[in-house]
Formats: sequence, structure tokens, C-alpha cells
Amino acid sequence: MRINYIELENTLPNVFLNEKIPPSEIWRKRVRFERGGRYLVEAASGTGKSSLCAYVFGARTDFDGDILFGIAEGKSDSDSSPKPGKSLDIRRIKPEEWQKIRRENIAYLPQELALFPELTAIQNIRLKNNLTGYVAEEQIAEWLARLGIDSRADYPVGKMSIGQQQRVAIIRSICQPFDFLILDEPVSHLDEENNRIAAAILESEARRNGAAIIATSVGNPLMLENQTLMRL
Amino acid sequence: MKLSDKLLRKNMSTARIVGFALSNFIGLAIILAGLQFFLDARSLWEDEDSFIKKDYIVVNKRVTANNTLGFDSGFTPDDIADLQLQPWLRKVGVFTAADFRVAATLSQQGREMTTSMFLESIPDEFIDVADASWRYTPGAGSVPIIISKDYLTLYNFGFASSTGMPQLSERLMSSIPMTLTLSGKNSDKTIEIRSCIVGYSNRLNTILVPESFMAQMNTQLGTGRPRNPSRLILDVSSPGDVAITQYLDSHGLEMAGDKSGSQASFLLKIVTGIILAIGSVITLLSFFILLLSISLLMEKNRDKMHTLLMLGYPLKEVGAPFRRIIFIASTAALLAALLAVLLLRVYYGEALSGMTTGSTGNLWLVPLTGILLTAAIIIFNILAVRKKVIESFR
Repeated sequence: MRINYIELENTLPNVFLNEKIPPSEIWRKRVRFERGGRYLVEAASGTGKSSLCAYVFGARTDFDGDILFGIAEGKSDSDSSPKPGKSLDIRRIKPEEWQKIRRENIAYLPQELALFPELTAIQNIRLKNNLTGYVAEEQIAEWLARLGIDSRADYPVGKMSIGQQQRVAIIRSICQPFDFLILDEPVSHLDEENNRIAAAILESEARRNGAAIIATSVGNPLMLENQTLMRL
Repeated sequence: MKLSDKLLRKNMSTARIVGFALSNFIGLAIILAGLQFFLDARSLWEDEDSFIKKDYIVVNKRVTANNTLGFDSGFTPDDIADLQLQPWLRKVGVFTAADFRVAATLSQQGREMTTSMFLESIPDEFIDVADASWRYTPGAGSVPIIISKDYLTLYNFGFASSTGMPQLSERLMSSIPMTLTLSGKNSDKTIEIRSCIVGYSNRLNTILVPESFMAQMNTQLGTGRPRNPSRLILDVSSPGDVAITQYLDSHGLEMAGDKSGSQASFLLKIVTGIILAIGSVITLLSFFILLLSISLLMEKNRDKMHTLLMLGYPLKEVGAPFRRIIFIASTAALLAALLAVLLLRVYYGEALSGMTTGSTGNLWLVPLTGILLTAAIIIFNILAVRKKVIESFR
């Protein structure tokens, strides 16, 4: 199975239902994120940017309107997987199917990182990579080195700075195949140099997968080229 | 151990799990030991009598001076009709007495012993002999009989030991040729027929012949006068029932055989019931301890489970460490309980073996009960785990 696009139709977080919302290019609009695209979602704090990420990742369903996945032909492994060649209302996806999508179709870096503080950096990364078996150990080591945290690989994540944790989470997020890479403020605590390196790594992984990157930002955007800017 | 397992086990309280295993062990051990003891001890009270079922009792009217003076001591049709109205009665059968004289001759090593005796019959449906040995074909030269075990005991330990006659085992006794000489009370007609003892009964203190034989002989030799039966065989729903005893007492009836047996087995059933109830309550409580422990553990691990699910871990894998705890703790408790029952059985087995006939109850029933109970506990808890994992999905 492959997800070719993610479409938002008249979507709005439930919390905004009874409020007057500021003009938005996403909420209450018809928006399509295509596979292979580069999107930067710019938003002020509290406009529902993390909610958007959580909806698309199936972690929350408290929205009005519809979110659809464009499903393309591919190896349809089992009967439980969504029917290919159709748009799929994500509310109808069952938990077990979400788990498969999360391993194979959508990678997600949440703003709060969701790292296990008691595990070391490398353990946190392996927690994902052992599940997917997608990336070679050498590749992980190279990424750690490029992002300048190879010397911290065996440190418990809880003892690292937020910026270092963010880099660990960036590496973990790409330890899987994906059609869409959703990054919620991925570089908010990174300096420009590390931002650039992270962007390069993410860009090459996305290109390798033919995938899209949707990154959010409140002011320190991931430095990708040719991004479609959308204001939330 | 897998990283994800290690993460989820971090908040596990060993004391709580051990607490469950211990209480589950105690509960199961009480249930299983009670059940096993009941099965083993039952044979103490319940005669291994293959001829009539446990639910059959034999009743007669109490012998009083009136009977001695010649009044009829039999059951009138009214008596039987009244009995049939009782709720605990399933079926009633009458004893048919021989309306002729009987003499039995035993010949052994050239010596002959002749004794006067009597014969009775009860409906065949009350006799539990599966094979064809309990059948009389008219014209056949031999008739099967069942005698009371008491008679053999009386002979062996009363008569034989005091007169110097050889003692006989059941098998030997059965092999001795016996001839019955039947003669009419009012006629000179005499019939001789060979007989063989096909069984000994603990519960029927009579000498039984097949009903068909009795009917035929009564027609040929009898006086033809109708007589009321002096004894009845009753098929009752529960032999230990107090209502039966009360009814018999108030109607001047006696139960043949040892009454204490059925009363003791009644008591045994009550005591077993109490023990099983206590064991069940403890097992139920232990089930809730496990349920609460696992729920608490999963509640503590909710964020971790959520994060693992966000990483794409399959629901099954996230629940696996909890299922493993449930499985291991429950199985350990079951094995310990079975072992305890086994040890207990060895302990009381010696005392019991002297008293029982050596027959043991169903050996698989107790382990099976334990396995079923444990399986129920495991399944319910695993369902609860599944629910909790799905709850932490969002």
C-alpha cells in the first residue's frame, strides 16, 4: 500500500468550532498534500498545528470535517489493509491498521519528541529501527556523527539538552520507510548549522522514498528548498 | 529481553504479582484439594456395588408384635400409591417372594450340605448387571442368583470357623455347584435346578433370582394366593435426603442396609461444598488482585504504551509483556496448587488406603478443573490487557 496524498476537507479542530477563527489556508479549506511535495506549515502558537499533525497520524480524532488518504496500488498484503486505488476516510482506519501505516507510510516527529528519557540515544533509535529493520547500524552512526551527537550515543536521553534530544528524534523518525514525513517543529532548538544538516539528511531520505515532507514552524523553519508555504 | 519489554516492565511491582500468585495458589489449592479429597473419600461411604445403583434404597415395615401374631406386614396398594406421591421418589419396585419351598444343596469334595432357604426377585430394571449372566431362559438347566455379601460373611466367620468347615472366597463360592430343590407348599411337585452365584451385594440383604424365573416357578408351584410385598425397592433422587428419613419414620418403615453411609456421604457433600465455596471466593479475590495489579501497572505505563504505539509497535507486541506476566504467574500458581494437592494426597492417602477398597476417583478431573479455572483467569485478564492497550492508542 502507498499513500499518494493527504487531503483535508473542511477540517477544523473541535476546540475551534464555537470560536471565530483567524483566516487560515488550511482550516475549513480543501487542501491536498501530495506525495513528493515539500510543505512548510507556518503558524502562530495555539492555532492547531500540533493538532493537525496528530490528526494525520491517527493519534487524535477530535476534528470536524474530513481527512482522506489517497491510497495507491501496491502490494496489498492482507485483507485488513485498506483497499487500493481509493480515498480513505482516516476515521475508518482501525488501530491495527494505523500501526502498519505508522511503520510503512507515515513517519512522525512530534513536538514533544516522545523519547524515552531512561533509554540512551542509540537505544531510542533502535527501539524504532529494530521494529522496522529499515536502516543499517552504520547509517545510524553516520547520521549521529553528522549531527554532532555521536559522542552522546550512549547517554540517557533524559540527561541531554533539548537540542540534542531533537537530533536523536530526527534520526529516529527516518528509521522507517514512509510516504509522508511529518515534522512538528523539528528544529526549534537547533542552531542554523544543525538545521541545515538535518534538512539535508531529511531531504535525501525523503527523496530516496519519493516521499513528502510536511514540517511545521512557529518561526524557526526547517531549511528545505522549494517548500510550499502554508499559513495555518 | 526486548527493549520494549524492558521499558514496560519498569513499573512492575513484584510484590503485587507474587501476592496474586500466592492467593491464586491458595484458592486453587483449596478448591482442588477439596475436590480431590471428596473424590477419594467418597468410596469410603459409597459401596462399590455393581448390582444396584446408589440411588436405590430397600424399605420394609418395622416388625412389631402384630406381625408375629400373623397380621399381614406387607405393603398394601394404598401404601405404594402414597409412596408414589412423594417428590423424591422416581420409581418403585416390589419384591416378589417365592410362593414355594426352597432347599439348596451344595456339594463339595463328596460332602453335601443342604439348607432351607428362600428366594426373592425384583424387577430387572433395578438390577445393574450389564452382561447376559443375569438372564433366565425357560427350560435352561441353570438359574443365576445374587446373594447378600453378609451371608458369605456369616458363613465364613460365624459358621465355618466354629464348625471346622473351610472358608470360601467369593470366587470359590461361585464355582461350587449348587442345586436348588423347589417344592410346592400344597403339592408334591418338585423341581430341581442348578444355580450359580453371579454376584454378591452389599446392599440387598436377600437372595435374588431373575424375575422371569420367579414368575414361572410361582405359576408352576405356587398356591396362587395374592400376597402383599413385604419389601420395596425405591429409586430416589437423593438417598441422603432428610425428607426420605422423615417419611420412613412417620410411616413405620425401615431402610435396609447401613443408613449411616448415605448420611455420611450427605455430610461429606456439604463439607465439600463449603470448602469449594471458600476456595472459589479466594480464587475470585486473587483474580481481582491480578486484574487490579495489571490495570495499575498498565495505567502507570500508559504513556510508554502510547509512545510505543506512536512508533508503530503492533498492539499485540505492546500487550505482550503484560500477557506474559499473567500467564507465568497463573501457570505457576496452578502448578504449585497441583503439586500441593499431590503431596496432600500422598499424606492422607496412607490413612485412607486402609479404609477404601482401593478404587480412586477420576484422576484427571482435578487437574482439568484447575486448568479450566486458570484458563478462565488468563483469558479474562488478557481481554482486559487488550482493552487497556486499545485505550492507550489515542
